[in-house]
Amino acid sequence: MKIIVNLDVMMARRKISAGDLAERIGITPANLSVLKTGKAKAIRFSTLMALCHELRCQPGDILEYSEEEED
Amino acid sequence: MDWNKDRSVRLTAVFVFLFAAALLSADVLGFIWIPWFISVTAIDKTHLPALAATVYTGSVFAWICLCAMFRLLRSIRDGDVFTEQNARLLRVISWCCAGACIVFLVSVLYYPPFIIIATAAGFMMMIVRVVKNIIQQAAGMKSELDLTV
Repeated sequence: MKIIVNLDVMMARRKISAGDLAERIGITPANLSVLKTGKAKAIRFSTLMALCHELRCQPGDILEYSEEEED
Repeated sequence: MDWNKDRSVRLTAVFVFLFAAALLSADVLGFIWIPWFISVTAIDKTHLPALAATVYTGSVFAWICLCAMFRLLRSIRDGDVFTEQNARLLRVISWCCAGACIVFLVSVLYYPPFIIIATAAGFMMMIVRVVKNIIQQAAGMKSELDLTV
């Protein structure tokens, strides 16, 4: 079981760069990279809210639950 | 006086250094003070080798503790407080205290007042273990927090 982060898909759809998005939601590019690569262990509601606001999407567009085993 | 965290760490490092210097002197001058200690206490002269063994075995544990403390202070100075490495160093210190406790407990056979040092070492081992458990728990929480975006 794992949570897949589809942030790069949404970013590509909205044509926004990682640096731009990080600046707009107020986190460091390094932290955004942690989130994008699926290394994050948790995400704050405030970060999720800012992401949804900037990418004009729902949390479900960014996060996806999978039954597959974690790597 | 403008007292801060860095100065406090530096002061602790000075104390550790002074203790290391005192321990080194005690080790080097053991051939002088160990016979003197026997002459001023009720220890039988035949126990001189046993006392020397107690002192130098205890000294080995003390040196290991001091090295671990220097490394701990260095990581605290660098801002890495809650890490698995620090928990490991505290575990080393606690086992050294346990070792010293056993050595002095055995030494009670020829000099009963050593029970005080054995008790102190045993008590110190328990305190250090509790602190180690706290640091270990905090290190786990910190690693999770570091990966919270």
